Amino acid sequence: MSAAGQGWNRREFVGAASLLALALGVPAAAIRLTDLDAQDAPTERQRSLMTRVADLVIPRTDTPGAADVGAGDFVILALAHGLSETRAPMAAANVTAALAPFRRRNGSLRYLAWLENALDRSASGDFLRHPRERQAEILAALDEAAFAKEAPFSPWNAIKGLILTGYYTSEAGGSQELRYELVPGKWEWNIPLTPEMRAFSSDWTAVDFG
Amino acid sequence: MTDNEGQFDAIVVGSGITGGFAAKELTEAGLKVLMIERGRKIEHQIDYETETKAPWEMEFRGEGDTALYERDYAVQMLNRHFTEFTQNHFVNDAEQPYQKAPGKDFDWFRSYQLGGRSLTWGRQCYRWSDYDFGANKRDGVGTDWPIRYAELAPWYDRVEEFVGVSGAREGLAQLPDGHFLPPMELNVVEQAVRERIRAKYPERVLTIGRTANLTEARPEQGRAHCQYRSICARGCSYGAYFSTQSASLPAAQKTGRLTVVTDAQVHRLSYDPATRRVTAVHWIDTRTGEHKRAHSRIVFLNAGSFNSVHVLLNSRSEAMPNGLANSSGVLGTHIMDHASTLAAKAIMPGFEDRTTFGNRPTGVVIPRFKNMETLDGDGFTRGYSYQGGAMQSTWTQGKRMGGIGAEYKDKLHQVGPWSMVLVAFADSMPRAANRLTLSKKLDPRGVPQLEIAFEHGAEEHAALADAKKEAAAMLTHAGGKVIMGFDRPNHGGTAIHEMGGARMGWDPQTSVLNRWNQAHDAANLFVTDGAQMSSSACQNPSLTYLALTARACDAAVSMLKEGRI
Repeated sequence: MSAAGQGWNRREFVGAASLLALALGVPAAAIRLTDLDAQDAPTERQRSLMTRVADLVIPRTDTPGAADVGAGDFVILALAHGLSETRAPMAAANVTAALAPFRRRNGSLRYLAWLENALDRSASGDFLRHPRERQAEILAALDEAAFAKEAPFSPWNAIKGLILTGYYTSEAGGSQELRYELVPGKWEWNIPLTPEMRAFSSDWTAVDFG
Repeated sequence: MTDNEGQFDAIVVGSGITGGFAAKELTEAGLKVLMIERGRKIEHQIDYETETKAPWEMEFRGEGDTALYERDYAVQMLNRHFTEFTQNHFVNDAEQPYQKAPGKDFDWFRSYQLGGRSLTWGRQCYRWSDYDFGANKRDGVGTDWPIRYAELAPWYDRVEEFVGVSGAREGLAQLPDGHFLPPMELNVVEQAVRERIRAKYPERVLTIGRTANLTEARPEQGRAHCQYRSICARGCSYGAYFSTQSASLPAAQKTGRLTVVTDAQVHRLSYDPATRRVTAVHWIDTRTGEHKRAHSRIVFLNAGSFNSVHVLLNSRSEAMPNGLANSSGVLGTHIMDHASTLAAKAIMPGFEDRTTFGNRPTGVVIPRFKNMETLDGDGFTRGYSYQGGAMQSTWTQGKRMGGIGAEYKDKLHQVGPWSMVLVAFADSMPRAANRLTLSKKLDPRGVPQLEIAFEHGAEEHAALADAKKEAAAMLTHAGGKVIMGFDRPNHGGTAIHEMGGARMGWDPQTSVLNRWNQAHDAANLFVTDGAQMSSSACQNPSLTYLALTARACDAAVSMLKEGRI
């Protein structure tokens, strides 16, 4: 990887993704940002920001955190491909003065640019230059407003959702933080639930309807 | 395959649930059969490419590439069962277009491949009762079914014994028991709800979904018991659920009398008015564009409900200008799809210290309890039933929760709270205005597209309104806190029970098929997929399609042997 503060060129981009893949034992093609259209390619700063934000949501504990598994890059890929309806034109009622500048010509929102701007504004400057504790406070405030009862539309809900997807569908998130059992082999209809038992990432019905 | 006179006794068009079964029945009866499939070949076990993949091995983690889906799978992506893991088992909408009548919606979920939707189906297997076969006669909507339950019961037996259906016997008139493998257990919440509902409503029964998943291995069929993964639609190398690949195709192949052609879109049948017989089946090789045809003594159309109707409409000729087997003029009319919606979702407190292990590939069912002995429906004369179940949430509940950081993360690794859902499925009334026609627009291979005109009516709305009310009452009584419920039906097609269009009936003036699924107008033509249906009932239809297929195959073979066709 390049030295701190240096920009990433295309080759390093691929190289880093491969290293990450190697470390996690997933196929190298898992997160492929190099195929994105130019207008969807993130800036270096946006990648760092997304990685940090993902890590603030799901930090490393006794299991890896979102930054360890590349969840930030997954969010960028997911936003470029419109997962969670993030490339759909915004409903007219949701277009506020604060969001209007971030709309694309087709009416969809540039989520990443919005997040960068929102965090920098809350930070009265460069969000990334603040200590981690301050970053967490800023993000927690943004999160609280977005998830409050009767809260108006916030792009944060979709971004946060994609961070969760990026993390809990990674190998560490899915099989260390949660339990993953591809072939249960049996059905037990009533067993005790104890506090140390973790949820299954392979409970597909729960994933769908949870 | 243009000069094959004498080579085939029967041609089966389609290889899905009914086509595969027809091929098995006809070959086992000694006939030489050609089965024609419009999609690609998928080989059991070998071609289930995503079956064992983890989300982290998928580029879009199982959710799929929305940009790709919007471009090529604009309809299929609306199906809950369509994911990055299963997308290779559904059609590309851009390559397989259809038209919707102006102002009307119909989401047509399709699987064009060897095995058809037998690879992706919901596997729920329910017998119909005489409440269903007698429905049209009772309220006067649609044409009377030319059969009743007693005639079909032995064929249900035969089919269930081959398919392998797990379920619990309940002794219900409206949902007759079958030959069941041991049932999968209700989970702890569902058991409690069953008892609590029964205590207040003695006539209402919550039972385990009857499903075509083996609870006991079938070594003689090369099928293992269910592994409780509940990822069936990816394809199951254990052969634990019934599909063409796991069960009927190997049986048909074992006879040595089956020929299979794939990548072959049947678009037309030719008909000889002098003999009143179908004389050839025509298809387009979708890889080369070449037009081909084959002959046989009898033809079974099992192209998948609307597609069978499509072939008949497109087989119009001088003798039959409105479509083959359409002297009645009802071909394409009276199409149906169950009106369905999430009638209730409730949080179920009191079971915080209980959980389950494994993914059970079926839910629960509450069979119909309205409009049975008396017509007690408010604005509707037929039935509805519920499917659903109780479950605990997992990490996705975090998408609705505020919070960030270690505490939030720790909360999300806990097994989430119990909830229970009841999804209502209501009878779809057979209406002449809901119909299929040929569009002037052509598909990429030059075949006129199918146009679908469908909408639910007042009866379906009334049934779902009642279903919402009753679902809330039952779950509330059972200790639940109802948090949502709907009574507007989802788009037509979304139940994936589209049927009708070539209905059975007594009278050649008002129906397409007779009581043996034989076209009134063409003695050697049989239609035994969903197109045959004269009414919809409110339970899943595939088992009934299979029973009718088995019965029609037997009848056709007898007619052939007796020289009547």
